[in-house]
Amino acid sequence: MTRWLKENLWRHITGVVMCLFALFPLYLVVLSSFNESGSLQVSSFYPKDISFANYQVLFNDERIPYLTWMKNSLIISGFVAMTSVIIGAASAFAFSRLKFQGKRFGIQLLLLIQMFPAILALSALYVIMERVYKFAPGLGIGTQAGLILVYLGGAMGVNIWLLKGFVDSIPAELDEAAKIDGASAMQTYWQIFVPLAAPVLAVVSLLSFIGTFNEFILARLFLIEVETRTVAVGLQQFIGGQFSENWGPFAAGSIIASIPIVVIFLSLQKYIVSGLTAGSVKG
Amino acid sequence: MKQKFFKGFAVAAVAALAAGLAVTPAQANKNIVVWADETRGPNLVKTLAAKSDWVSGYTITVKSFANFDALKDAIDKATATTGPDIVVGANDWVATLAKNGKLAPLTLTASQRARFSASQFYDLSYKKKLYGIPVDVNNVAMIYNTKLVTTAPKTFGDMVDYYKANKTSKSLKAGLCVAGGGMSWGAHSVFSALGANAYYFNSNGAINKSQSFNPNEFGRNVKQYLMDGKKSNGFFPATDTGCKDNFLAGTVPFAIIGNWEWEDYKAKGFTMNLMPVPGVKAGDPGKAFGSVSGALLTTFAASNGVEAAAKSLLVDFFGSTAGQVAYQKFEKRPPAEKGAASDASVTDGQKGFGASAAAASVPQVGAILNGASGSKSYWDSAPAYWTAVLVDGKDAVTEAKKLAAIWRTNLRGAANDI
Amino acid sequence: MLSGLIRGKVALFIKIALVALSTAVLLTLSQSAFAKGEYVIAGFLFIVILLINYTYFSKRTVPLKFFLPGIILLAAFVLTPILYTLVMSTYNYKTGNYISKEEALSRIQALALEPDANASAFDIVVGEFQSTPAILVSDINNNSYFISTPKEKIALDATKVEIDEYQVAQSAEGFTALESGDISSSAAAKKRYFFDGTYFIVVENLNVGAVFRQSLEYLPEQDVFRSLITGDIYRDNNNGNYVNENNQDDFLEPGWRDPSWLTNYIRLFNDERVRDPLISVFIWTVVFATLTVLTQFAFGLLLALALNKPIRGRRIYRSILVLPYAMPSVMSILIWGGMFNTEFGAINEILGRDIAWFQDPTFARVAVILVNLWLGFPYFYLVSSGSLQAIPSELLEAAAIDGANPRQIFRKVTLPLLLQILSPLLIASFAFNFNNFNLIYLLTGGGPRNQLDGEIAGATDILISYTYQIAFGNNLQDLGLASAISVLIFFLVASISLYGVRKSKVLESFS
Repeated sequence: MTRWLKENLWRHITGVVMCLFALFPLYLVVLSSFNESGSLQVSSFYPKDISFANYQVLFNDERIPYLTWMKNSLIISGFVAMTSVIIGAASAFAFSRLKFQGKRFGIQLLLLIQMFPAILALSALYVIMERVYKFAPGLGIGTQAGLILVYLGGAMGVNIWLLKGFVDSIPAELDEAAKIDGASAMQTYWQIFVPLAAPVLAVVSLLSFIGTFNEFILARLFLIEVETRTVAVGLQQFIGGQFSENWGPFAAGSIIASIPIVVIFLSLQKYIVSGLTAGSVKG
Repeated sequence: MKQKFFKGFAVAAVAALAAGLAVTPAQANKNIVVWADETRGPNLVKTLAAKSDWVSGYTITVKSFANFDALKDAIDKATATTGPDIVVGANDWVATLAKNGKLAPLTLTASQRARFSASQFYDLSYKKKLYGIPVDVNNVAMIYNTKLVTTAPKTFGDMVDYYKANKTSKSLKAGLCVAGGGMSWGAHSVFSALGANAYYFNSNGAINKSQSFNPNEFGRNVKQYLMDGKKSNGFFPATDTGCKDNFLAGTVPFAIIGNWEWEDYKAKGFTMNLMPVPGVKAGDPGKAFGSVSGALLTTFAASNGVEAAAKSLLVDFFGSTAGQVAYQKFEKRPPAEKGAASDASVTDGQKGFGASAAAASVPQVGAILNGASGSKSYWDSAPAYWTAVLVDGKDAVTEAKKLAAIWRTNLRGAANDI
Repeated sequence: MLSGLIRGKVALFIKIALVALSTAVLLTLSQSAFAKGEYVIAGFLFIVILLINYTYFSKRTVPLKFFLPGIILLAAFVLTPILYTLVMSTYNYKTGNYISKEEALSRIQALALEPDANASAFDIVVGEFQSTPAILVSDINNNSYFISTPKEKIALDATKVEIDEYQVAQSAEGFTALESGDISSSAAAKKRYFFDGTYFIVVENLNVGAVFRQSLEYLPEQDVFRSLITGDIYRDNNNGNYVNENNQDDFLEPGWRDPSWLTNYIRLFNDERVRDPLISVFIWTVVFATLTVLTQFAFGLLLALALNKPIRGRRIYRSILVLPYAMPSVMSILIWGGMFNTEFGAINEILGRDIAWFQDPTFARVAVILVNLWLGFPYFYLVSSGSLQAIPSELLEAAAIDGANPRQIFRKVTLPLLLQILSPLLIASFAFNFNNFNLIYLLTGGGPRNQLDGEIAGATDILISYTYQIAFGNNLQDLGLASAISVLIFFLVASISLYGVRKSKVLESFS
């Protein structure tokens, strides 16, 4: 018994303390989402009377098409996650496996590009997409398609870099063998690399998904119509109004918005750890 | 061989597709685009759904943004390609947008001018040119919780005394807080009640270009009413966060609220006991800023070929009695236009603010408040004062002198523009 | 063999279909871009089409086949904005100097209209008279009516015009009115109609005309504006404004963005109002990024060590611990912001204090680090526990046999190995936090700023939020200076990261 204590007690204490730290804000959000006065202050640490008013606002107020926002976020983030990984994986494979002139330069350029602080790009992207709007209104500023294109461009650098790490870790003997069998680069890619890297691709796309889900500055600039907005933009509306704050609906909205991500995250946990170790930082 | 065939096929397909694409000739634009924020936008849409022919021969499209910041971000970056013809925005955008060549001036006839007050035009003018039509009045007033306070306070001291006496028994979290308008715009009435107005007026109604507040007197008042030695006495929080929630929860007896949100209070069962913030002496209340939101004309209207129509929309809809009444039925802020303001359909909340504003308000003069240099404006220095004194415990008089110096510089810097 | 053949044919067909489709779409776009005068974009799209067709139909471009989509996206949405930023950094590009010179010229000319003494405005009808653009003017106050063309004014007999209930003339002989919907875009709406020689009438809106005179004239040969009232000359000051020769404070608005070459960069080092805040912001940025990485790593590692054994409830711990990482960070940051509120926030409630978290520089910094710890420790917990498992157990056993106690094993074996494995991640995390805009922007907005003492940068401003503030803030927006700072940040982050990459020898494999 004492040995158990000595060995394991500190582990549990650390675990419990950190879990409390992790849960504390989340608990408060849950609490205030059920609190009609909708403030983030703690008059008590247990729910006194549970009210669904904040949730009702989200589903019944015509000015807050919350489910549409949710759908938009999921579609935009999902599309960006899938597409950027498909495109990124091909580039990563080429960087890692193929021999060509200027490869070293390409890699370094890719690395450098990522370090450029993209904050001023806001202006540039606005100008570009405004011009695109002029000849292709379906793709330019104010459209989800346009926003997706911009996100795809932004996701390229990170994803290629990340996936390259994975490809590097796949033993080269495998594709050497394929080459001897007479397979072309394309065949090697599709028949050997893609199946091997499938779990990794899933993780990178998940990270890409979360990153896109969280983005609000570009989204706020691009998505003007109420029906086109994403959750991140929509939620800010509650507490980023001109002069007022509305924590109640915000809390309720946050909880609903988090559920899909948390579920995906928890179910893919095992893969994520390996994915993270290969060198990614959440955006 | 096959490869070639397919190549040829691809090219042919493309050529066919491209040939089918004819460029449509440009048609005369008969649509006026209006940008607005997340409340005004949808309400404009409703108004226009009820009646749309404000300008005969033209249609009107309203785009609503997610919030005020998003609208500001977009109008800052917009160009003629996708920019609006009219943007409904804050009066303090006028100077910046005009400097950047984004706004176009308009001229009103004498009868149109008569529908608004001079100070409202002041708000929307830059270098003596008017850039928009005043749409709704933004002001704040003090509300008190009648469940806690039975009689209206007569002086600032009355409120402080109440707070001190009931702080523990009623577990009050603060005495007076700013729920609407922020710690600079919304808090002007507190500055003013304690003796610091942003500017003063001559007897003829013009701004006095040399007078500024007395920092010694103001600092002394701050010490007496808001401080407990070197610390804040808790009566007046230095930030506005959470004020609304706490007032509604009954833990703050007095709050400064905005006229755009009175319905929230009413919905929670509060009566509209609105009044100016009482001053140090009875009968000398603190003055709140009264400003207007404007429907601003952009230069894009001209490039879109709808300038004249947009100007018509401005005067015939945004600036007319009928237009403002129709719009404020949904938006529920006090209308700026005189005829609409006295219209029977205007509700008690809208009127209560109107009355409070009439009793104690000053026009918001952007040319002075925004600061000449751009870095030290009224907007930045005012909340900084509260922080310095109430939070950091710096000397109220010393900091007041810094504040007075900044405000005086701004007054002088704007002397040519006012 | 047969299946392979079919697959090959199907694959070829799919490839050609895809190329044909993207070519068709892009060509359509390119064509309409060209038609609308967007030649640069049209050209870019056309080059993309050529590249796609060349790449996927040639046998010599194997690597490009993999790269091309990625490269196109990068070039369009990442490289172009970077180039744009570089160009902006060499311009005097700020509030008041925002539009191009052409636009500024036309704005100044449009604004150079001065109303007459009474600010006269008349009811008008826009139309045509004797096949020239004309307006039918009703001067109700004087009961006079006239038709005005750009060249002359034709007085009308008040009895011969058709007037409506407001005494406004609706039609007159020989005058054809335009349809209301056609006025705005018509040439007639842009003309200046004769009034009295000096003053003229312009179409103000669909039924009002206003009386103005021109107050400035532009002399293109000398590129100056001349005041028609005072005779003052306004000359291009080579910094984006026309300035009065006799009075430096008198300049015409709006100005334009003018090339200023290296001025913005020089200001970074020479102008103390720019330099001093920049230095303090830079120091805090480094401190913030370092402390963030250290605290996140320390807590993450501690947890990883604690939960490295299959103790009871480990799965539950893990599931709870990753929650902060899985929650959308936009929301969690905003929630923390509410919790730190002085009077009403949960944190002060628990502490029983009224600490002004976001008004006091030190507390604000503590809050920022604390929130970031919450956001990031699960990440380091996950990667540390992954890496702990990657450490060969023989190594640890060997050390134990050599008589080292657990602490020594940790210090001498585990930690160095972990650091070696994780150093690229630590550096990546540092670089990420160096530019962690969302956190600062949403939590403190960079504040508090002591405006009374003239501080421009806030206590928690990091370089990127400071840049945002300069470029898109509420006051003066200086895009040129902000771009120059961006370039500077780029060099800082690039050198930090290159140092890190060198150290972790990632680039070794390409040499």
